[in-house]
Order: sequence, then C-alpha cells, then structure tokens
Amino acid sequence: MGNAETATNTIGVQYYETRLGVYDEMVATEHKVLPYWEHFIGALETMGSAEIEHRRREAQRLLRENGVTYNVYGGDAQKLTRPWRLDPVPLLISSEQWLTIEVGLKQRAELLNLVLKDIYGKQTLLKKGLLPTELVFGHDGFFHACVGTLPNQPKPLALYSANLVRGSKGRLWVLSDRTQAPSGSGYALENRTVMTRILADIFRETQVQRLGGFFKGLDKGLTAIAPHNKDNPRIVVLTPGPFNETYFEHAYLASYLGYTLVQGDDLTVRDGYVWLKSLEGLQPVDVILRRVDDSFCDPLALRSDSRLGIAGLLEAVRRGNVVVANPLGSSLLENPGLLAFLPKLARYFLNEDLLLPSVATWWCGQNRERDFVLNNLDKLIIKQINRKQGNQTIYGGRLSNKDKDNLRAAIIAKPYLYVGQEQFSFSTVPAFIDHHIEPRNAVLRSFVVANGDDYQVMPGGLTRVAREKDDFIVSNQAGGISKDTWVLATEPKTPVGVSLQSSGRNQFIDAVTEPLTSRAADHLFWVGRYLERIDGAARLLRTILLKYQDTLEFNEATDAQCLCVLLRSITHVTGTYPGFTKDSGKLLAAPEAELFSLAKDSKRLGSLAANIQAFVQSAFSIRDLWSQDTWRSVDNIQHRWQQRVINNDIATEALQSGLDELITGIVAFTGLTTESMTREAGWLMLDSGRRLERALKLVALLRATLVFRHEQAIQNQVFEAVLFSTDSLNIYLRRYRAFIQLPMLLELLLLDETHPRSVAYQLQQLSLHISALPRECGKSQLSEGERLIIKAYTDLRLSNVADLLKDDGDDGIYTALDSLLANTTELLWRVAEVIARAYFSHSQTSQLMTANSPPEDEL
Amino acid sequence: MKYRITHTTTYNYSQSVGLCQNEARLQPRDFWRQRCESSIFDITPTPVDFREFIDFFGNRVAYFAIQQPHRQLVVTVISEVTLFPRPDITGLLKQLSWEQVRGMLQEMPNHGSKPYQNQSQTQSEGQSQNQDSGQETLEARYYILDSPMIAAQCELADYARPSFQPDRPLLDVVRDLMQRIYTDFTYDPAFTTIATPLSEVLAHRRGVCQDFAHLAIGCLRSFGLAARYVSGYMETLPAQGQQRLVGADASHAWFAVYLPGTGWVEFDPTNNKLPFDQHITLAWGRDFADVTPLKGIAFGGGQHTLSVSVDVLRLEQ
Repeated sequence: MGNAETATNTIGVQYYETRLGVYDEMVATEHKVLPYWEHFIGALETMGSAEIEHRRREAQRLLRENGVTYNVYGGDAQKLTRPWRLDPVPLLISSEQWLTIEVGLKQRAELLNLVLKDIYGKQTLLKKGLLPTELVFGHDGFFHACVGTLPNQPKPLALYSANLVRGSKGRLWVLSDRTQAPSGSGYALENRTVMTRILADIFRETQVQRLGGFFKGLDKGLTAIAPHNKDNPRIVVLTPGPFNETYFEHAYLASYLGYTLVQGDDLTVRDGYVWLKSLEGLQPVDVILRRVDDSFCDPLALRSDSRLGIAGLLEAVRRGNVVVANPLGSSLLENPGLLAFLPKLARYFLNEDLLLPSVATWWCGQNRERDFVLNNLDKLIIKQINRKQGNQTIYGGRLSNKDKDNLRAAIIAKPYLYVGQEQFSFSTVPAFIDHHIEPRNAVLRSFVVANGDDYQVMPGGLTRVAREKDDFIVSNQAGGISKDTWVLATEPKTPVGVSLQSSGRNQFIDAVTEPLTSRAADHLFWVGRYLERIDGAARLLRTILLKYQDTLEFNEATDAQCLCVLLRSITHVTGTYPGFTKDSGKLLAAPEAELFSLAKDSKRLGSLAANIQAFVQSAFSIRDLWSQDTWRSVDNIQHRWQQRVINNDIATEALQSGLDELITGIVAFTGLTTESMTREAGWLMLDSGRRLERALKLVALLRATLVFRHEQAIQNQVFEAVLFSTDSLNIYLRRYRAFIQLPMLLELLLLDETHPRSVAYQLQQLSLHISALPRECGKSQLSEGERLIIKAYTDLRLSNVADLLKDDGDDGIYTALDSLLANTTELLWRVAEVIARAYFSHSQTSQLMTANSPPEDEL
Repeated sequence: MKYRITHTTTYNYSQSVGLCQNEARLQPRDFWRQRCESSIFDITPTPVDFREFIDFFGNRVAYFAIQQPHRQLVVTVISEVTLFPRPDITGLLKQLSWEQVRGMLQEMPNHGSKPYQNQSQTQSEGQSQNQDSGQETLEARYYILDSPMIAAQCELADYARPSFQPDRPLLDVVRDLMQRIYTDFTYDPAFTTIATPLSEVLAHRRGVCQDFAHLAIGCLRSFGLAARYVSGYMETLPAQGQQRLVGADASHAWFAVYLPGTGWVEFDPTNNKLPFDQHITLAWGRDFADVTPLKGIAFGGGQHTLSVSVDVLRLEQ
C-alpha cells in the first residue's frame, strides 16, 4: 500500500475514533486508555502500521498453511473452504473483570444444566408453571424420545458456550446460549497458537492466562463420564464430515485431544453398545463428543432421513452404555424464548439472582409480551425460537409496511414461535482494519466445560468483530474476523495449568494405538491413488511438453511421430477419452489446448487439476491424521498449482516449471509420510493405494507406447521418453551403458523387483501390504485379495522378455506383452474392489423400513 | 368384549441384510376402556437384542436388533385384549363450547406459586382433583402444537370453519367435522402413501384412515384445540352370508379430542363412528410419526417387499 508510510503515524490512541455514547473495550466511555491496555497499545504504536500489517499477513499465512478454514455452505466445492481470518489486535480483559465473567458463566452453565435435567426428567418446571408448555414443546430442540435418557451425572450438560456482548454502560450481557454442540474452542486455541508466534515479543511481556488447562479439563471431564473403562475410555469426536462449516475444528480437536474422529457410519450399535468399525474389527466406544445436531444423531429414534447418525444410538444411551456430550436433546436450551424466564429460574433453582443478564427478550407466547412486541416491531429484533435455515433475524425497523403486516400475521398465528429482543448497541473493540486501528462491534464467545462436580471456564475465548463499521451482524457465515482474547493475570506467574502438549495426544500414545476407522482407511487408500495419478500424469505431461518443443524447434518427422505416440498415451494414462485417441490429425498437430485442459480444467475428470482437487479433499477428510508439516505439503501442492497454473494464462514454459514444482511437492508429501507414519494399518492403506495406482498407470503407459512396433527411429525416441517419464532414464543409462533396447527396457520397467518404479516392485509391495492387513478369517488361508495379487505378481514373474516380444504373425503389436499387461490391469482392478469390500464397510448403505399399517393392499 | 389380534409383518429382501434395528409399537396399551391380557412377539430370525420400554406417551415399545445376515424378517405379535363398555357421554355433549375449551387450554398456569388451584382450595379433595385435571390439561397442550406430520394452517382452518359455529358445544363441532370428512372424502388406498402431505389430501379429497385422522387433528389444532392420533385395529364383520376371512383385517387409525374435565373423546372419521366396542387401541401420539407400528433401519438388503396381515378375532362377547 502506498500510504503505509503515512499510516505508521496513525496507530496511536489519539487517532482512535470511537463513537459517542458507545462503550469501547480500550477507552471505556472516557476516551482515555484503560490502564491494562496501555502497555499493549504502546507496543503497537512503537511497531507501527507497516509492521503490524506485516505480522497480520504472517498470521494469515500460518493459518492457511495449517489448514484453518471455515466452510461456507452453498459455494461450489473448490471455493468451499474460506480461510480463517485473524486480527492481530487481541481483546484484552483485565483479571478483575474476568473474575465477574467467570462466576457468571459458571452460574449460568449450572442453571441451564438444571433446566435440562428437569425437562428431560420430572418436568417440574412445566407442572409448576415456571415454564410454559408451548415454550418447551414448541421448540425443535425438545425431543420426547429423549425424556428419561440423560446420563445419571451431576452435570449432563458437559459443554456450554455463551455469546457475550458489552452494553453502552460497560455491563456484560448474554446475547445467546450455545448448548447443542458449541463450536469455536478449537479456533480459539489455534488463534492463540498463531498469536504467540506473530506477537511473540508482546505476548511474552504480557501476563496472559493460558488455554491448555481448559482442554485438560475437557479431557478429564469426558473421561469421568464414561460409563465403562473409566481408566482408559475410548472417546470419539462425531462429525458430520468435511462439508460441515467447522470441520477443521472437529479434526483439530480430535487430533489435539487424541480422540478418534468419526462420522456416523463409522459407528454401529450392537447388543445395545456403540462400536467403532475399524480395520481391526469392532472396538467399543464409551463417550461421543458430538458435533452433529441432535435430531440427526439417530435415524431410528429421531430424524429418519438422517445420513449422519447411528441407528440405535438413543437405545444405547437409554441403557447407559454410552454417554453423548452434550446429551441428545440439549439444543432445547438454545431457545431464545428461554432467556425471558432465566431470572425466575435462577431464583427457583439456585436462590440467586442471575449474575450475567440476558439481552431483553419478550416471548410472544404470552399475551402481554406478544402485544408489546406487536406494538414495538420497529424498535425490536424479531427471531423465531427455532434456529434453522431460512429463519433470519429480523430488524423490525427495516421492514417495509407489507413485510411488517406479514410478520404480524405470522406472529398472531403462532405466537409461541416468536420472540422480540431489544436492539442491542454492542461495545466496540480496537481492530486492525486497512492499516488503521478502528473501533468495531464485537461478540465474545466463551467456553465452559463440566469437570466432575464443577464447571471450568476457558480463560479467554473467541472474539469476533464485524468487518464493516457500525455493523452488528457478527458471524463467520457473514465474513467476520476473529480475534484472540487475552485474559490478563494479576501477577506474573508460571503458565496456569499445563503446557499445550501435556493434555494432548502425547500422554496417550504409549498406551493405546488408535484404531483406524474404515472411513479413514478408505480416504488414505484414495490419497495414495490420487497422488500417483497426479504423479504419473505430471511426469508424462512434462515429457510431452519437452518433445513438443523439440518438434517446434527442429521440425523433424520422427519427433512429430513420437509426439503422436506420447499424446495418445496421455489420453490412455489419464483416462480422458476420446482426447488424442480418436483424432485424425488436427488435435495431434496442435495439441496445446488439449494439454492445457488436462493441466487446468478441474471440471474434467482425469485432469491434473481434478486429481489435485480430489487428492486434497480426501486428505482433508482425514485432516486429523496428518502432522502439521504433512498438511503444509498438501496445501502447497494445491496452492501452488492454483496460483501458478490454474489462475494464470500461461505459456508452455511456465507450465513446465509448474510441473517441476508439482513433482517436487509430491515428493515432499511422499517423503514426509514415509518418514513420519508408523507402519500400521494407516500406512498400509496409503501405500497400497499408491502401489496399486502406480502399477495401473505404468501398465497403461507401457501398453500405449511399447506394445506397438514402431520403426527404429521413432522407437528410440519413444523408449527414451518412456524412461524419462518414469524417472528411469538415468538408471537405464547407468546400468546398461547402451543404446536403449526394448528387452532391457522391459526388464527394468516391468520385471526388476529392485527398481521402485517397476511394475514388479509395485506388485511385490502390494502383495506384502495386503497380507499384512488385519482380517477376520485368520491367517491360515489366503484372503481373496491376497490370492488375486499373488496371481498378478506370479504371472508377471513367470514371464520372460523373449517370450513377450516373440514375433507371432505381423499385426503390428506384441501380442504376448499386450495380454500380460491387460491381465495385470484386470487383476489389479479386482484387487481394488476386494479391498473396498473388505475394509471400507462404512460405505454400506442403510434404508428406512416402515411397515405402514393403514390399509395398503389389504382392503 | 374380548379379542385376539394377530399382526404379521414380513419383509423380503433381494440382498442380504447384515444388521437391522427396529422399534415396534405393536403391543396394545392399557387404559380405562381397554386391558391387554397378553401380547407376545414372535420374530424370525430371533433377535439377539430385544428390550421393551414405555415411551413418552405411555405406549409400549419393543426395541430389537437382528445382527446376523438375513433375507427375510417376519415380525408377528399375538395379543389378547379385553374392551370395557364405555360410559355414556351424551349427557356431556351440550356442556362446553369449543371457545370455552380453547380458553381453558390457553389459560396459563400462574407462574410460580399456585398453578391450577384457583378454585375450591378449601377442600383438599377438590384441590387434588383440580390438580389432576390441571395436570391432564397441561399434558394436553402438547397436542395443540404442530407435530412432524401435521401443521396448523389456513387451508385446514378454512375447511373446518363451517363446523365451528359460535358457541357450539365442542363435541357437536367434532361430530360434525367427522361427518363432513366422511362425506367429502373418498377412501382411496391407491392415492396416498405415508409421505403424502395433508395439503394434497385436502386438495384431492382422497386418502386413507391415517390421512383422515391427520386431517381432523389438523383442523382442530388450527382452532387451538388439542387432538391426538390413535393407532389400532377395528373388527370388521363379513358381509351377510359370507365367510369371515382370516388375516384380511388391517391396522386402523382414528383421533381423539381433549375435553377438560372429561378427558379424551375418540372419533373415527373413516367410518363416521364413535369408537365403541370394535376399536382396539395400540398406541397414541401427536401423529403417525409418534406411533409408527413398526419401523427399522436395515443395512444392505437391496430391494425389499413388504406384506402385512392382520387378523382381529372376537373371542367372547
């Protein structure tokens, strides 16, 4: 930015323009920096705008590399993930203020916990008239099937989250409660991790309370509620899958806490218990940390159209064989109508006043309140009590007269479904926007977990600010920016609780090897396959581009003929028919457009772009299994290809260097996985996918290039190109020190078991992997997969080059070679099918059977 | 009046099912006009996991899982039920108007201190009676609200309006409504499935007993009244001179409306009858979704076919 220089001078507080009458977190109402902000804002002033911007970008880079995303529904697959945005200016909260917040949050968590226990238990609140029946029964979060199914624990509400805002006089209010599957704690942790890197100096000088203790508390709390295996319960994180908006966080938390990340069909209910379908068979599950909405969790007892749940889960819960956190049905507490009743409930249950007040709310299910709302539509925010898509928050004042009449009619028709809320003027916080520090409206999401008999509050939270000035809509879906939240400690002290790692996976890794879910196995297998598809196509494309440049330069007939062979082969290898295969000459003479399409067109099956996308999607679906470094290498592959190749109108030279970089990226990923993965089921799956696909691609290439008899001059060129594109040219030359000849070429690429790029090597490895995979029927008999791969391997080994190249009648092809290659392909396809059937059991579909009684054909 | 009901459901699958979980609401519940003497399941293949419990509405539920591969599932329930003659309610028919009933249902209990105890607090007996009735009224309010398959809407209210004349006793209103549905609608099993929305039933004036029950319930709820769905069986008698056909009966459905002080009064719009001594009750809830007699989730199975046979046999008068 050109004005970066001048902007340097505008960071100080004298340039900070708050609005009249609005409380600001840094200057309150007096426009004088609060003492606990002084040091921090001083440090920023010294740093200057350009440096802050530099660090902001550094933060964005780190977040992107770590794969921190927030998915926005409705976009197409490519643009599905939106990078998480972090403001380098945190929200500071003094220790005294925090004390009040903490006590208030604990009280509120306990109060909601008691309401939950009552509604799903004796329903005294309804019987005594403390809560109207319409308010409870009219809310989508009440599930009659869940009555009586809460675990017998003091705190069934295991996780609680509140959205807090500060009003004009500096008082804190609760805007809404989150109890279904509160999200954000993982993002808060990741924000902190990044902040300690980009503002390391300031962070060190500031006494900030640490977050690790909260997650340790979460882990302890979840361990404590396990119904069985209390010493070492199996805890899983249930996610709707990679398309969910906060999937990053599901994977992140699972990996951080050492839990297995699962989707609904990774689990099954048998004998009234919940089991994890793993490669090693069924493993019992004790606790489910759910990030799936309650109605979707059990297609038998709840929503029958759900594909995200586990049939029979509620029955397992009813029998006390598994604990779900939060319990099924807890979204009941998110009902905004409840806010109006909380003060009374606090007195009833706790004999206390509500410490953190809620935003003023009128539930229209009562006549007086309904009339108030109808008479004050202009001044209020109108919400439906059920939070579902399409139910927008309505600012009454912004409606046209016609819309207002419609809204009135809707409220009168079903008043219990509506609340009116005061339009709240939030406090502002300093945010770094376009090189300036400016006040923005902010919401703080705080997090609470049940840890035994007590609630524990995260000292910090996820602060979100609106992008635009005076905007009150602060949400990730609407493109808000997040902030770290620094709760200051009163005095210097060693980090509270624990270092980040000690509550995480390191503690457990000695004790348990996590089972690999069949879904994760499936994705690993496909990561390996896509990787090899990319590698094979990239190397061949690079070879072709070189040859193409030769033809342009030297204009020799043999070059052109060799190019034709190679062009046809890339259509075969990538499976992008008809491509060059059905062409009479036009395409072959001017192949550029087709080659660029194979590189760039992500909508085209078999193209590099499409395979890269599929590779990243598969890898993202098991985000929890990758190390930070490995994920960065995945991200690099996609990011660079997108930036350098897809987004640009490039020439062939640039595509060449893009391909070089892509191949380097693949090698980095392969190296990292080879060096960092334990040789267990996960590795076996990944490498099996790679070996299988590499063999298939290689066989396809050999079939397309070597099976035909070419005339000598062309043949030499083709052989060289094949060796080059399989990274074997150097080896050949070193080993045979001779002119390239077909017998030796086949020896090297087909039969040499010591050469990692030969077909024989792939089959040998695949055969070892398959026999090492866990299976049910003991080891005395060969499995179907083993039998098939051994057959392919043996057929190959029993062949010899002389026979393969025998001249049998002259139809222009080596028949024996062709049929060996065809046979190998066929067997490998069957191996792939058998692996899928044996190990990817989650893919079995379920169906709802309803014996509809009313007379169908009987009468 | 005593009956034996044999209800058999058979699923045949084109491919093997590896696992299926089921919920059955096939055992008659007890209440004032009915006692279930016995109710026995016979399931093939035998489920490894079988457990009975009572649901939120007080219905009997059996959860069972078949965990071995199978191509056919047969669920038979044989129940013996005694029905008791119901008391004559004609004396009540003229009492409460529908507006009065709606008002009573809308009345909020006093928040906090003394709900439902506004009258006759001097007599402890009266108080406890009021409490019971208050409790029942409270529960009834769940049945005024929208449910998975029935949402109150203008079209339903418009259809029902002619029955809702001002100050008309509630039971007259409902009788009239039942009569109109019986007359206006054609019984047509080919027209609807479980998934057919009410608006379509209303638009085409066609459906089966389940649709007619849903329709009536939706009409009543649109006027702020509490109505519930009842699933069960009805004894069918062969036409004169014909043999009784075993297994030719069917499941049946009707509805009930809540009248404070009296309780739930049942109506059968399919037959334009007040259920008396031929209606055997299985379960009740807000609509069909709450009381689905048999539902399950099967893994695998390919295509499936379903057949149901019901036999209602009168054992004694």
